[in-house]
Amino acid sequence: MQSAAVGRMDALDENLTEAVVDLVLRGMWRGRPESDHRPLVDAGLAMVKGPMVLPTEPARAAAARILRISAGSEQEQRITAAYEAFLPVNRTLREVCTAWQCRPDGTVNDHSDSVYDAGVRESLEDVHEAIQPVLRRLDGLPSGSGRYVTDLEEALDRFDDGAVEWLASPLCDSYHTVWMRLHQELLLVLGISRAQDEALEEELVNRSRG
Amino acid sequence: MSITDRHSGALAQTYTPSHALVPYGQGRIRGLDAGELGTHGIAMDRLVALGLPVVPGLTVPAGSAASLCEPGTARAALELVEQLSGRRIGDRSRPLVLRLSASASTEVAGLPPDLACIGITPADADGIRAVIGRDDVLYEVWAATVRMIAEYALDVPAPELDDASLDAPDPRARVDALLSTVARHAERPYPDDPAEQLALAARAVLGRWASPRARRSRKAQRLPAELGIALHVQAVRIGPWDHSGFGTAVSRHPDSGRFSPQGSFFRGVRRSAPPPRTGEPLEKLGGSSALLEHSLLTLERHLHAPVTVDFEVRDGEISLLAASAQSRPPLRAAVCLAADLAGDGALDREEAVRRISPAQVQELLHPQLRLTGGEQLLVKGLPASPGAATGAIVLSSERALELAADGTQVVLVAHETTPADVPGMLAAVAVLTGSGGIASHAAVVARGAGKPAVCGAEGLRADRAAGTVRIGDRVLREGDPVSLDGRTGAVYAGTLSISVAGPPPELSTLLEWADDMRRLGVRANADTAAEVSTAVALGAGGVGLCRTEHQFLGDRLPLIRRVILAADAAARDEALSALEQAQHEDFKALLTAVGDRPVTVRLLDAPLHEFLPAAGEAQDAAEEQRAAALREANPMLGLRGVRLALLHERLYPAQAEALFTAWADVAATGVRPELEVMIPLVSLPEELAAAAAYVRGAADAVAARTGVQVPYRLGTMIETPRAALLAGELAEHAEFFSFGTNDLTQLTYGFSRDDVERQVLASYQERGFLTASPFARLDPHGVGALIALAVERARSVRPDIKLGVCGEHGGDPESIAFCDELGLDYVSCSAHRVPVARMAAAHSAVREQRDESGSAR
Repeated sequence: MQSAAVGRMDALDENLTEAVVDLVLRGMWRGRPESDHRPLVDAGLAMVKGPMVLPTEPARAAAARILRISAGSEQEQRITAAYEAFLPVNRTLREVCTAWQCRPDGTVNDHSDSVYDAGVRESLEDVHEAIQPVLRRLDGLPSGSGRYVTDLEEALDRFDDGAVEWLASPLCDSYHTVWMRLHQELLLVLGISRAQDEALEEELVNRSRG
Repeated sequence: MSITDRHSGALAQTYTPSHALVPYGQGRIRGLDAGELGTHGIAMDRLVALGLPVVPGLTVPAGSAASLCEPGTARAALELVEQLSGRRIGDRSRPLVLRLSASASTEVAGLPPDLACIGITPADADGIRAVIGRDDVLYEVWAATVRMIAEYALDVPAPELDDASLDAPDPRARVDALLSTVARHAERPYPDDPAEQLALAARAVLGRWASPRARRSRKAQRLPAELGIALHVQAVRIGPWDHSGFGTAVSRHPDSGRFSPQGSFFRGVRRSAPPPRTGEPLEKLGGSSALLEHSLLTLERHLHAPVTVDFEVRDGEISLLAASAQSRPPLRAAVCLAADLAGDGALDREEAVRRISPAQVQELLHPQLRLTGGEQLLVKGLPASPGAATGAIVLSSERALELAADGTQVVLVAHETTPADVPGMLAAVAVLTGSGGIASHAAVVARGAGKPAVCGAEGLRADRAAGTVRIGDRVLREGDPVSLDGRTGAVYAGTLSISVAGPPPELSTLLEWADDMRRLGVRANADTAAEVSTAVALGAGGVGLCRTEHQFLGDRLPLIRRVILAADAAARDEALSALEQAQHEDFKALLTAVGDRPVTVRLLDAPLHEFLPAAGEAQDAAEEQRAAALREANPMLGLRGVRLALLHERLYPAQAEALFTAWADVAATGVRPELEVMIPLVSLPEELAAAAAYVRGAADAVAARTGVQVPYRLGTMIETPRAALLAGELAEHAEFFSFGTNDLTQLTYGFSRDDVERQVLASYQERGFLTASPFARLDPHGVGALIALAVERARSVRPDIKLGVCGEHGGDPESIAFCDELGLDYVSCSAHRVPVARMAAAHSAVREQRDESGSAR
């Protein structure tokens, strides 16, 4: 069942483990030096497509296995509780990004209405406040939640400095890009499928909106 | 105000509570402005003045807002709201709670959140719950109120409150957890007394407004640091779930723009962010929907704008919580409203036209899939990112990148939204998903990357392993073409063409009114009969530029090549007569499409190199040699336009004869186009005189052959600075001028367009040398001055000379205004810009009129 590459994973050094997890959580690498991805490609864990490096199926399986914490553990219970607190905020964050990109009637936000944009920025501040206690409780993640705190702060700072693509652009480590990575890590850590995730988010959102 | 007088004796403060408490509707009578009443107080005053039903409530003006933190004033406010609503707090059968909100003198972001559950105690909660019949929402709202009061009025540390909230996901338990956190950490417990709660709520709202976060927000919005806020105390009249609720409505349908109240209605206690998809349509309001409709109509007529209202329903009766003009109404709604108001005489037509900018006209005519009725709709999903696209479906990022690398347009069908899909989305022209809504990660990424997207297409199942997508009972394979529209959510099988939309009916009406107001004519640049038909349908008054180059390219290239490279006169004449035949058919189709409108036909203007064979591809060595001799270092400034015609003397006569013969044929069917024959790239009056002689000769030849004297005007394009400077001399030979502003701009600046656009313009704009590309916006100081001078000189020689512009500038609103002010007769632009130009020309005329009447006064 498992490919040779994955079978070898246990023997891989820590750098390669870290790299494969990073590549899977990001979905792609762009503009990295070849020395970064060559070992992954050689191990059958990455493929080069034009300017991008993508993870292979074995890489995804490996990352899922590396990140998954033991089922039924006390750690899993704690992270599950934080994940459930994350989900309603996750919905709000996507709505904030949507509001930044589109007006409520669905037309493109041309950013000529400063009051509207400032209102979206306020909602983003609400999200940023609401995610803090969740991230504090996620310090039990295998890799810690510290870098998410740092990366989200960094994106927010750049956004406030006028580089507005740092909210939702997929081409940089924008607030949404970092957030999506956090979301993906939670799913892999807890072994939850996207379908389960969507259903649970829907349920929690409907239960908890005030 | 007897109710407040009762307390005045008990208060030792220097203010008089009756002045600090202003019931909705009484602000203006008391001489208070928006600075005191806030936007909400002003809006409620207006609703009362219009006789519309409002929720009972009062405003504490910004100047005395802090007084509400005093329990005495809070008690007076509470009793006044009780009196206004006819209910009492604590009444078990008809309960009342209070809602505290804030507003500033203008619309601002970052106001403190509303506190919607004031005046409730753990002891009455069960009673209130029983009246409503459901519990969760009440506790949600109550918990949010307690949370904010605890943090901002009772100084409980935020992390303690966060922990209490996170540990109690159930709303009812959360209220208890928050109340006990307050008991543990605050100097005093959360009060049961409603007036004390209101005073603390006021303290919390003002505290939040003074917090570092709110100050940062004001700074970012460039608002004064000390900007005041008015406080508003509103009655929340609790009623049974079945007959009570709240909602939001707008006056117009966002897609059609018609008056048709749209919105949703939620049952239960009012929340600032009700759960999505729990709203019910307005029809569920039953009898009170008529009053809602009346309110929206009254407000539209009063505000002359599409409006939005928040409303409350209590025991089946509706009252308004807020109302305002929509800050950015959907364009279609704005256009429809302008047409409706003018149709009813509430607005004059000029004002209606002025309300819609040329840019908005362009926005309404966005590119979309061209539907003929025969296409197969695969599925309709949610419109997640606007734009139309067509491409081959792919199921993975890997495949998307592979195909896109070959230049294939692909549509990524994303099964789930994971980071792994992002590279595929970046490579695709559009994104389609089967799950998730318009706020899914996929939709956010697609919009962030500027890709059209349709999300949540129901019944879509992608099977990556099999390489298939199942939509309902249809199965598509990876690589099959689909077309989708991210504005409508429609997904079609196959490759549809994408084109600019025609104007919706109400815009057509406004454009017709605009036509009555403008002086400047609007024509289109159109080369073929099909293009002419499109332009005419979009309101073009004629054709301002028909380029004849295309008549020589494609399968006719060998013919013109033979003309230019002919070894002898016989070979050349044979090729010419074949060309004339072909052109005759082209011109007939074109003139038929033009009808009785004017049409300016420009004789051949292509640079010579377009007709020469590539090196090594000539038919024989002799031809190769002749071609080599003709190759130029700078073809755009070489043997081109009239210069080529003067060297190949049969070229223009042959073209003109084909054109005149076609006119005679078309005239025989009863159609009489106003023919204008234009000579390109003239810089010497002698060139024009010589070319004019060819055209006159051709007309005489056709008259001799057919017996028809073809009526036509002869003119020239002004595209070199020298032609502009010698406009007076040229006007002696020309009955019209058309300013070719693309070339005139290149030659005036000495800019080679492609080169400077690539390397120079961006840096010039960054440095502030140029505010816009001179190729997009006519340069009024240099190129514009040349045009002005040419206009003046030409008119001094020939006062009735017809003058127009046929560059891309003919579709740019600012350039159009410039041409209008110069008194040109028309502008000519590409067909899809015609509606924009019509509106821009009308705006320019109306503006000039207003300026004149302004200076006369």
